[in-house]
Amino acid sequence: MAITELKGVSKSFGTVRVIEPLDLTVESGEFMVIVGPSGCGKSTLLRMIAGLETVSCGTIAIGGADVTGKEPSERGVAMVFQTYALYPHMSVRENMSFGLEMAGIPKAEREVLVRKAAATLQLEDYLDRKPKQLSGGQRQRVAIGRTIVRDPKVFLFDEPLSNLDAELRVQMRLEIAKLHRELGATMIYVTHDQVEAMTLATRIVVLRDGRIEQVGTPNELYTDPDNTFVAGFIGSPQMNLIPAIVKGTDDKGHALIDVPVLDVSGFAVPLRNPTKNLPAEAVFGVRPEDLIQCDKAAASDFTLICELVEDLGSNVFLYNAASREDAIVAELPRGTHPAPGDRVPFRVSDGTSYLFAPDGKRL
Amino acid sequence: MSRGRSWNLVLIAGLLFFAALVGLPFWWVISGSFKIPQEIIARIPTLFPQSFTLEHYQKLLSSSDYGTYLVNSLVVSSLSAFITLLLAIPAGYAFFRLEFKGRETYYRIILLAYAFPSIVVLIPLFGMFAKAGLVDTRLALIIVNVAFALPFAIWMLRSFFASIPKEIEEAARLDGGPPLTVLWRIMIPLTAPGIAAVAIFAFVTSWTEYVFASVMILSDARRTIPVGFSGIIGQYQVDWGLLLAGASLAILPVVIVFAFIGRWFVTGLTEGAVK
Amino acid sequence: MARKPILAFAFVAPALLFLAATLAWPLVSAFVLSLQNVRGIGTSGQWVGLENYRFILTYAAFWESAGLSLIWVLANAVVQTLLALAAALILHQKFPGVRIARTWIILTWIVPTVVVVMIWRWLFSTSGGMINPLLIQLGILDRPVGFFATPESAFATLVFINSWRWFPFIALMMLAGLSRIPTELYEAARIDGASAFKRFTRITWPLLAPTLTVLLIIGTLLSFNVFDIIWLMTQGGPAGGTRTLPILIYETAFRSYRMSEAATIAVLATVLLMAFAVLATRSLARSGDER
Repeated sequence: MAITELKGVSKSFGTVRVIEPLDLTVESGEFMVIVGPSGCGKSTLLRMIAGLETVSCGTIAIGGADVTGKEPSERGVAMVFQTYALYPHMSVRENMSFGLEMAGIPKAEREVLVRKAAATLQLEDYLDRKPKQLSGGQRQRVAIGRTIVRDPKVFLFDEPLSNLDAELRVQMRLEIAKLHRELGATMIYVTHDQVEAMTLATRIVVLRDGRIEQVGTPNELYTDPDNTFVAGFIGSPQMNLIPAIVKGTDDKGHALIDVPVLDVSGFAVPLRNPTKNLPAEAVFGVRPEDLIQCDKAAASDFTLICELVEDLGSNVFLYNAASREDAIVAELPRGTHPAPGDRVPFRVSDGTSYLFAPDGKRL
Repeated sequence: MSRGRSWNLVLIAGLLFFAALVGLPFWWVISGSFKIPQEIIARIPTLFPQSFTLEHYQKLLSSSDYGTYLVNSLVVSSLSAFITLLLAIPAGYAFFRLEFKGRETYYRIILLAYAFPSIVVLIPLFGMFAKAGLVDTRLALIIVNVAFALPFAIWMLRSFFASIPKEIEEAARLDGGPPLTVLWRIMIPLTAPGIAAVAIFAFVTSWTEYVFASVMILSDARRTIPVGFSGIIGQYQVDWGLLLAGASLAILPVVIVFAFIGRWFVTGLTEGAVK
Repeated sequence: MARKPILAFAFVAPALLFLAATLAWPLVSAFVLSLQNVRGIGTSGQWVGLENYRFILTYAAFWESAGLSLIWVLANAVVQTLLALAAALILHQKFPGVRIARTWIILTWIVPTVVVVMIWRWLFSTSGGMINPLLIQLGILDRPVGFFATPESAFATLVFINSWRWFPFIALMMLAGLSRIPTELYEAARIDGASAFKRFTRITWPLLAPTLTVLLIIGTLLSFNVFDIIWLMTQGGPAGGTRTLPILIYETAFRSYRMSEAATIAVLATVLLMAFAVLATRSLARSGDER
């Protein structure tokens, strides 16, 4: 159990800077998920914490001790790799005990620790098998087991579920969450999947182009995004981001905007920091699930012309254009089936819309 | 993949062609070594022997030190293969994984050594061995054989190491394995087919080497098979039966070695040699 | 591990030092020797500067040998590569016994060259050899031919024997390149309606090309250096018709006892070969970058 602290950490490969100098503190016992699109530097960041990549600048401390220049094995971390990286020529038992052996732990003690971890992960029957003889989920468990036995200060996960099929992914997600609860350990978890981030994390770091866009609890990121990137990245389908013109403000701290695409004028949007000093143009953001279908056109804020309907069974999504970039998406109640060309009236659920500056910053 | 009937015919024809190209010469040599002399030089050669005799083998073994040559060749080739591995495994691993100054330059230089006309170093090397008192020793042959097998061995091993996923080594680093342990416990077991292939390569290179063995070795008791055999050829110019028996015996050991580990050589060669 | 250069040094140094002592140092010695006028091995001589180079570069036998070496390399490259390619394509198919075929095709390479030479000398001989009767029966020849009687036929026969010895090795390396081509590509091409021939020219060939280039370079270096097969078979004859550069070097050193001149030829040959190797690998690296 330990606080992990990154101070001014950056990484360059040659002249290319992949991680801008950043500070990050992961509290003891926290489940921190680093999320971002591919190529955002999230894996590099994790590998720097692991010691598999050197840092170009800055320091990394784990449990108060500076580990910046230390070997991976001296940092008290353990890691689950995307490809599991099990030793193919060793049995499950040998895979799990290799690290203990390297640490000089006597054989009898290793056996006890391996058995205990195997029991936690329901691997007791497979201890003598080779990784080749295991299913994907079992391999995943062995990879996790290998980290548990070493009782590290920090667990690192590098997209551990991306090689599993959908059903197994959900199951392993639950198991990892359970593991975190049982061990109470610090975990740092990298993924590009925002669902994994939302379900597992106590806090999420959203990373883009080597910069931290926002750090917060899943709920904070969902309800109070700092910018259009976070707003678009968290939540599925993603938030509608629509060009708008700022007309002024009211006395309740709302901005009044026109949205030409929706044929809406004078709509009131809550501001994070009420101010009169607003740009003339802005981006109006509203999540599909916050658009509510109205019975009568009179009570509605605007009308969408149905172009395409996606019925997922549990809910239905309406698109007003065939291409995702242009479309405004709205969630409809289960069982609703508007036909293409239908005009469907909507209103915006109270207090669930956002306004962003043209550069993406939240207003 | 399924094939059409005409393609099957082409395939069979091709197979027969190569089977004949590679197999027939050996068949004639080995079957010929059991034929009586009259049949060997018959105007119309026989594909299947009409006679059977061991006289050529008896004559060969009684009139020459063939057994000694065989032992010498086995000793020299095995030790050459062993030392090549000893030097090539760490070097191949370092060239692949460890970062150090001038790595690429050294690697290129080693590859250039592969482009060496071996005859070039024959003269100076002989002088060096003469000074060191190594002329007419099997050690001299081992040194030369290792020198010629090493560049290719390093090159091959480097690509075998490259075929191991990076994450496995990283996992080993996180597990706290020091580099030598990682090499010994993880990398070597995982590249076993490749290492076998390199060992066979070095063994065969030494087993077939003629030029240096003929120049460096002076006494009959230290001759290897190629040199010993060429001596017999020179001595019994047209005694084909004797020569065929000698050739058969020179083929036999490598064939036995290959029957056991040849499969590894081929998988090794086809799975990692060329990037 | 970047922080442990000593370790890397310990891993690489033994091999490097070994090669320096056994290959690099002798090469330097050969160069030193080429600047002197040493005759017999172990005797001493005076410094003569570039005199040997002036002599060798105007020495007709050197240029004849260099020309023969060039033809030797080209002829072997063609024969060897074609045989290897055909064999590799066959071994790449699935058929019963393919594993055995893949293993034992290498037989020609694992046998001592002396034995190879003996086998073929016997098979090509006019007394008891199989080749002459075989060719007569097939109607290709009407009477026995001495394959080593004329320079041209001796040279061609040697190209065949050397290619015979090396083609399986090259074929296995090609097989490595072939097995790296994903089978899905062939399946996609079949669905697109490509004939077997088209699949070869449009998929196999372009994807195999990089491997082929590497193997051509390796093959060139290997055949240039071939000494034992030629020496044991013809000793450079008849009439110098198979006297490639390695043969000339050996003759000059150990038959004529003109060590310094032999060293000079050796140095020139090395420079030539190194230049080829450097240029070839560099162009290979460049085309590799483009991929």
